[in-house]
Amino acid sequence: MISARNPMKDKVAIAGAATTGFTPHNTDRSPASYAAEACIRVMRDCGLKPSDINGLCGSALPAATAQAMLGIPEVTWFGNPSIPFASGIAAAASAVHSGLADVVLAYHTPYRLPWNTANSLKDPFRRPQLQGVAGPPETMFGPIGYTAWASRYMHAYGVPKEHFGYVALNGRANAALNPAAAMRAPLTMDAYLSARMIRWPLNLLDMDVPVDGADAFVITTPERARDLKLPPVLIQAAVLGMIDRNEEDQTPSLAEHGQRVVVDALKAKSDFWIDGADLYFPYDGFSFITLSWLEAVGYCGRGEAGAFLAANRDEASGRVLINGRVPMNPHGGALSEGGTQGSGHFREAVHQLQGIAGARQAPGARTALVTTGGMFFNAQGVTLRRA
Amino acid sequence: MDVSDEGLVRRFRGYALDHDNAAHFRGRLDRRLLLNRCGDCGQWRHPPRPICPGCLSPNVTPTAVAGDGTIHLAIFLHQGPPADGVDYAKPYPVVTVELDEQPGLRFTSTVIGAPKEAITIGRRVSLDWIERAGAPLPVFRLNDGSDR
Repeated sequence: MISARNPMKDKVAIAGAATTGFTPHNTDRSPASYAAEACIRVMRDCGLKPSDINGLCGSALPAATAQAMLGIPEVTWFGNPSIPFASGIAAAASAVHSGLADVVLAYHTPYRLPWNTANSLKDPFRRPQLQGVAGPPETMFGPIGYTAWASRYMHAYGVPKEHFGYVALNGRANAALNPAAAMRAPLTMDAYLSARMIRWPLNLLDMDVPVDGADAFVITTPERARDLKLPPVLIQAAVLGMIDRNEEDQTPSLAEHGQRVVVDALKAKSDFWIDGADLYFPYDGFSFITLSWLEAVGYCGRGEAGAFLAANRDEASGRVLINGRVPMNPHGGALSEGGTQGSGHFREAVHQLQGIAGARQAPGARTALVTTGGMFFNAQGVTLRRA
Repeated sequence: MDVSDEGLVRRFRGYALDHDNAAHFRGRLDRRLLLNRCGDCGQWRHPPRPICPGCLSPNVTPTAVAGDGTIHLAIFLHQGPPADGVDYAKPYPVVTVELDEQPGLRFTSTVIGAPKEAITIGRRVSLDWIERAGAPLPVFRLNDGSDR
């Protein structure tokens, strides 16, 4: 059931966001080390000290560990929401709006582990998660589901592989301007098309880059945020959308899944939609997810996302500027900044709306639409605006 | 088949067995593909759950399907988990088949005995069985009937 009720609208602010930058190799650092660096950085950027924090949430690293490590004297709310990171944004915003906490430190530590890269196994400290026996190959479970529905998409609309490539090339062109990005070397369509096939029809460059690193955010009331060092960014609405048939191989169709719910609900709860969005952040854990989001939010019709990107991209640079105005994943996205499970998308949205995105700054950007997550059990959307 | 829970887990190493899908795996030992069907509203649903999502009845019964259907999703693994008889040097097909029993009722496995070019979305298939690591595995074979 979709409802327009949204008492939280513009009542919670993101006061700051910070990153460690990302590395596409196993490093000799732990997830805790990255989380600490990002958390300390965002507290300093905001002018806060650990005793100013009374709410804590993040992924991978338990909140209890983060609190002990950062010496936060007392918290009145904490949690470890699932990924992608809109779950963390939504949980922290709910905590602030309800009064469970006043100033929440929210972090995410992308980390190279066996679930996202087999090369992580070269580091013995990354091995403990891999126990027991490998599952059977005859499954569409997890990441494989996106490859499966990409096959259906190509079958249904007869689109060429280049349409997926436009997503990868946009990410790489934008990452060139982002010092935090893991993959910054130029990428051509020929190189994209000849990348190693992993699961047909998707190749290595259709899949996000496993990285080490962290992002962190301070989420609080607009009043408190105004007293801090950076311009507040208001959370207008947040939706974690899902339907009952959320198993990868039982999903009803290319159009009917969690993204449809996110779009219907987020539209109903927000004051602006794509015509009023200055920035667009579609998830790109797989290139196909971006094509699906572009169609779901209404930039174009079903099967038309590739043609839409072709018409809205600069051929020479590969960069997409929707309607000549709206950058798409200006930080490089998961495909090129790094597989941050959405935290990078939110960090960049905050920096753009604060006007501190450096060489990537979209002039005068005041609103952002962020649609993280995939299709089955983690489709999410958040609308943000500068206060 | 009359096999203990311990024995069932041993026969299907690598699968996540639980109380709700044990009957499905017991059916495999008899080379029967059992999917849950509601005894009250008649709806089929997979994977196995303790109740029917259509009418919330607990009266769900693992019931054999004929296994005829149409390929709905089709991918080819160039790498993947180690499995007996699977060599990823030749891209390994994994398909989701929409079964004739009910629109939207789907089962995922591989296709045997067909070249890659022939394994495409829309092709008709039928159920077959192979052995893997001492347990029967339900698979599909292209059906000579017309595409739909």
